[in-house]
Amino acid sequence: MTNSPERSRWLREPMLHFLIIGTGLFLLYQFVRGGNETAPREIVISEPRIEALAENFGRTWMRPPTPQEMRGLVDDYVKEEVFYREAIAMGLDRDDTVIRRRLRQKMEFVSEDTAATAEPTDAQLQQFLAQHPEKFVEPARVTFEQVFVNAGQRGDAARRDAEQILASLQAGRGSALPAEAGDATLLPAALENASPQEISGSFGDEFSKQLEAAPMGQWSGPIASTFGLHLVRVTARSAGALPALAEIRPIVVREWQAQQRAQAGDSFYSSLRSKYEIRYEGEIGQLLQQAQPAASAASTQR
Amino acid sequence: MELADLVHALRPVSNLRAINVASVMHGRLGVVLGLAVVIAPVVCLAQAVDKRQYSPYAQQAFPDRVFFGDTHLHTAYSADAGLAGNTLGPDAAYRFAKGERVVSSTGVPARLRQPLDFLVIADHAENLGLPMAIHRDDPRLLASEWGKRIRDEGKKGTVEGMTAAYTMWMSKVMALQDPLADRQDMQATMWHELTDAAERHNAPGRFTALIGFEWTQQPNGNNLHRNVIFRDGKDRADQVAPVSAYDTRDPEKLWDWMAAYEQKTGGRVMAIPHNGNLSNGLMFDDVTLTGQAPLNRAYAERRMRFEPVYEVTQIKGDGEAHPSLSPSDEFADFETWDNGSFGPQAKTPDMLPREYAREALKRGLAYQARLGANPFKFGMIGSTDSHTSLATAEENNFFGKVSALEPSADPIRFNEPITGRFTKDESQRQTHRMASAGGLAAAWATDNTRDALWDAFARKEVYATTGTRLRVRVFAGYEFTAKDLDRSDFARHGYENGVPMGGDLRSSPAGKAPTLLIAAQRDPDGANLDRIQVVKGWLDAGGQTHEQVYDVAWSGQRKPKADGKLPAVGNTVNVQEATFTNSIGAPYLAASWKDPKFDAKQRAFYYVRVLEIPTPRWTTYDAKVFKVALPQDVPASIQERAYTSPIWYSPDGT
Repeated sequence: MTNSPERSRWLREPMLHFLIIGTGLFLLYQFVRGGNETAPREIVISEPRIEALAENFGRTWMRPPTPQEMRGLVDDYVKEEVFYREAIAMGLDRDDTVIRRRLRQKMEFVSEDTAATAEPTDAQLQQFLAQHPEKFVEPARVTFEQVFVNAGQRGDAARRDAEQILASLQAGRGSALPAEAGDATLLPAALENASPQEISGSFGDEFSKQLEAAPMGQWSGPIASTFGLHLVRVTARSAGALPALAEIRPIVVREWQAQQRAQAGDSFYSSLRSKYEIRYEGEIGQLLQQAQPAASAASTQR
Repeated sequence: MELADLVHALRPVSNLRAINVASVMHGRLGVVLGLAVVIAPVVCLAQAVDKRQYSPYAQQAFPDRVFFGDTHLHTAYSADAGLAGNTLGPDAAYRFAKGERVVSSTGVPARLRQPLDFLVIADHAENLGLPMAIHRDDPRLLASEWGKRIRDEGKKGTVEGMTAAYTMWMSKVMALQDPLADRQDMQATMWHELTDAAERHNAPGRFTALIGFEWTQQPNGNNLHRNVIFRDGKDRADQVAPVSAYDTRDPEKLWDWMAAYEQKTGGRVMAIPHNGNLSNGLMFDDVTLTGQAPLNRAYAERRMRFEPVYEVTQIKGDGEAHPSLSPSDEFADFETWDNGSFGPQAKTPDMLPREYAREALKRGLAYQARLGANPFKFGMIGSTDSHTSLATAEENNFFGKVSALEPSADPIRFNEPITGRFTKDESQRQTHRMASAGGLAAAWATDNTRDALWDAFARKEVYATTGTRLRVRVFAGYEFTAKDLDRSDFARHGYENGVPMGGDLRSSPAGKAPTLLIAAQRDPDGANLDRIQVVKGWLDAGGQTHEQVYDVAWSGQRKPKADGKLPAVGNTVNVQEATFTNSIGAPYLAASWKDPKFDAKQRAFYYVRVLEIPTPRWTTYDAKVFKVALPQDVPASIQERAYTSPIWYSPDGT
């Protein structure tokens, strides 16, 4: 590339792309409409159109249409085109969720196409990493064992039983496999380097939160889950930390690119949105207007 | 999550968890000893044996974790998804499965309550990535007349254009004429993008992205689809291009392709068939597809070598049992889709025995006796078959079959026909409100890695759920007693003295009946359990097959009635509010069950069905959230369930 950095940045500017695409669409529209709002309403049955209709028929019926059938196909096409144009003129598309969503989607495609897919520099990535630690921070992890006490089966005695088992575990008595001091369960007897989310997935949120407060290296509890009581021994904890760029470069690249695409979509939307005034009506409308406008919707991701 | 991606990518992976744990613990031992806080007896014990055995659990080489996932998800790379409004590619699909918030193709923000542990993106091999090629104006697509035309239609931005593009593609698939046969390089690009995405998101120990695709063969619209799933990474999977229905029309030829892949790369691959309920009797047919020859031993062995597992429940209906085949099973009619297929042929009752899993398992016993091999000796899983890139399996978080049917008040969500579009008889139409919001695949494995999970599938130590994450374990053996249920080392005892789900019971010592040890635990965030059932199928001396469903554990103080039926658990569902309470049912149920009618000379299988208490169906949540009328032809509440893979008994131990 011999372009100066300024020039290539200018060429990559999404707004420019939108302007070019937009101008093109406008010119095309003017051309198709003959640049005149009052042009006669004309439906052109071109040769390629006829061929396409015939071919479509042939795919279904495995033979070309007869002249009479061809007449029917063309009439049907004309009917469809007339209804389509009139429906648009009457604004019927505006109330149709499916059509509205599809058109929105097409616009999002347009915006996404302009998103830069260039390789980021280390400096860009470093900055991105610093600005978005929440995306890359390694969650706190816990390694622990647990002994299950089935409160459903043991009833009122459960807590007392749990405390007795705890005393025995703390004294180092009993089986070499601590879990054998407790009741049968399908929950794992131990988890290694588990994140809070993984712990919640097996034991539920209530347990996961209480485990955070459990002391290191010794049996403690009982703590409650949706299943019953648990005695726990935490043998390792690692605090959450932000890794260095070199360790996770491919992941930062992935996230940076995802954000570039989302930003392109957002700026495309903002540029369109800025052309519109929103007028709020009624009492609730007034309340909504006073509230801060919601952040622009995230674009679709690929 | 992200650091884990890297840390685990660097960690040597083994399917023997013992080795992983031991090496991790070894490193930690030095630190812990230095701090002198370790309880002395444990250390002494460990040192006496081997330093690396500090943690007693390090020796648990048996599978003690259950992992939940979806083996059947479509993204915008599937022609029928991308041409029907799905704009989300594999990256969004993986992010969503891992628990991130993703905005759906129709603009609805979406997130899972709990992330999945694993995901298989199984995009259709037939013109893989076609919607992406259209979207990108891929010059290789535009080089063909057909490609230009479908691009023009696909890019019109109108419903008509989209429909036209979809129809153009569908008619080629139905006719099995690859419109892009000379554009194999484009398909290879798309495949490599998908395997790239799998490598980027696969994080051994945390989240597994298994590589896969769907082979979409449907003669005359009758479903014989299979999801092909690799044990291997990109390095091996990229050595082949996915085989499509254009290439081979017969599952036997698909197995040839799979064998060739294994030969060429040294890798492993399996195929998981689905939706026998839409196969019009072809899924478990008595004859081969092309030759129409009776099944023989070689067929049976090859089928089970390559297709050890069947996807029994998904959005397009539940295929465990059919009420007309199991008339005494009051729970057999669950999310049943028994009307029509994708083609013009109408459904007739004689097709049903060759469509449903329980009947196929029974007929398999007869084949085993006759051929010396069982063609239908499969394990069972569920999955979604979502075409939205969003693996949603929950009733209150269901994004539908395709993007156009994502959550909204639009009547299309309930009324869109899914099957029977081409049958003359409109009663053979099945609409989207019948869609089952499920299911999931659960695997008992040693670790959350590609090889550990794939191996669990291969040995059928897997079970199906209709979307819930309830846990269920079963062991069968001859020496088990009721007291074993109280053992806290239930699993270790089970493995040492019996076989787990998917296993084979060795022949019975002195005609002794086997005992099943079963435990089930509800989803931590879900509904309580109603009951555990054992489904037994067997073959009598006259060659007739039979079945019986036994209630073996249930909540509360219910007593079976005179006819042996257990009273219903009750129903707490408030339909207006779409709520339920756990005031009925039990969080944990266990049973030790000895077969009361065991005959050591009869072939049999046993599988476990676990039922939850009734909860609101997705249509009931929809009615509440979108203030739309509750559809009258689907139930307002359902009992979500799990089906384990069977355990087989054979007099000669085969």
